[in-house]
Amino acid sequence: MKKLKIVAPTLREKNRYIAFQVISERGEEFTYSDLESAIWNTMLDFLGEEGVSKTSVWLLKDSWNQKKQTGILRCNHKSVQDIVASLGLIDRLGDNRISFKILKISGTIKSIKSSTSKNG
Amino acid sequence: MDFYDLHLHSEFSEGESSVEDFARRAKTLGFRGICFAVYHKDRKQVDRLKKRATEVSKKTGIDIFIGLEATTLEELKKLINIRKNYDLLLVGGTNLELNRKVVQTKEVDILAHPEYNRKDSGLNHVMAKLAAKNQVAIEINFREILLSSKNTRSHIMHHIQKNVKLCKKYKTPIIISSGAVSHWQMKDPKILISMGCLLGLELNQSKKALSKTPENMIRMIKERRDKRWIRPGVKVVE
Repeated sequence: MKKLKIVAPTLREKNRYIAFQVISERGEEFTYSDLESAIWNTMLDFLGEEGVSKTSVWLLKDSWNQKKQTGILRCNHKSVQDIVASLGLIDRLGDNRISFKILKISGTIKSIKSSTSKNG
Repeated sequence: MDFYDLHLHSEFSEGESSVEDFARRAKTLGFRGICFAVYHKDRKQVDRLKKRATEVSKKTGIDIFIGLEATTLEELKKLINIRKNYDLLLVGGTNLELNRKVVQTKEVDILAHPEYNRKDSGLNHVMAKLAAKNQVAIEINFREILLSSKNTRSHIMHHIQKNVKLCKKYKTPIIISSGAVSHWQMKDPKILISMGCLLGLELNQSKKALSKTPENMIRMIKERRDKRWIRPGVKVVE
């Protein structure tokens, strides 16, 4: 498939990357897909479909570390507060009680990866 | 920046987690201090909590404060008389009469969830003005939002937004707390700040609600512990 022409920097959306850690009651009992569906369902409930569409949110699958239970979310710079507040509303994955710790919010994936690897 | 969560309920009141669990979680999430609210029904229970809090505070390095929570006018009167015996005085807002009395009382530190179980926001412009004058902080309780859903959550958030608007207009202190009854309900300071922003606060105001306003209250606790302190605005001068 032919790729789209790259948009000019001034027209590009400014991204923010949110590194988070999941603290769970029963360790590594949940999977990435459980977490992904919980995040999407909570955001859709809280912000609505129209609200979520404005956030450009995406959960980066490659960045999920099952052992450390850390991951990275991407969104645009205007909706960081909406996304972080939504994460706070997730308190369970099935019967497993969880809580989110926000490790870092950054504008580049490079800096967020270096900081999470240092902390880990 | 130091963050404080000033409304938690441990197993000594209506909560389910131990003081130690809360303190450990607070340290993980990056809080400098926490405050346990307890109802003044059993004095021995309060003394036991105080003792446990001192032990855990030494062990974990987290500042732990004890707050007494009143839910009726009679309880409030009793607690004002023994104000020097504990750190913070919280009043759980339910009825309008109580909310009005609370904002007029200098001894009260926090009016917790004024909109709780009400069909209105529980705070009007006169009360917001009085709260600012008497330095009574209005609480944004995260647990209320967390445990509700759909239309109930939207109503609660609407009422909190109304209160925030009044507080901003009259420069009334605001605090954001998790209101947790279990250490699993404690939230990262960044999450609480973000929720504050969604409810109408500016980012710096939201940060202030979690750090500077609680710090001012803690400063007052230290002043109150001084032997020369009698009541707000009155102390012995040698």
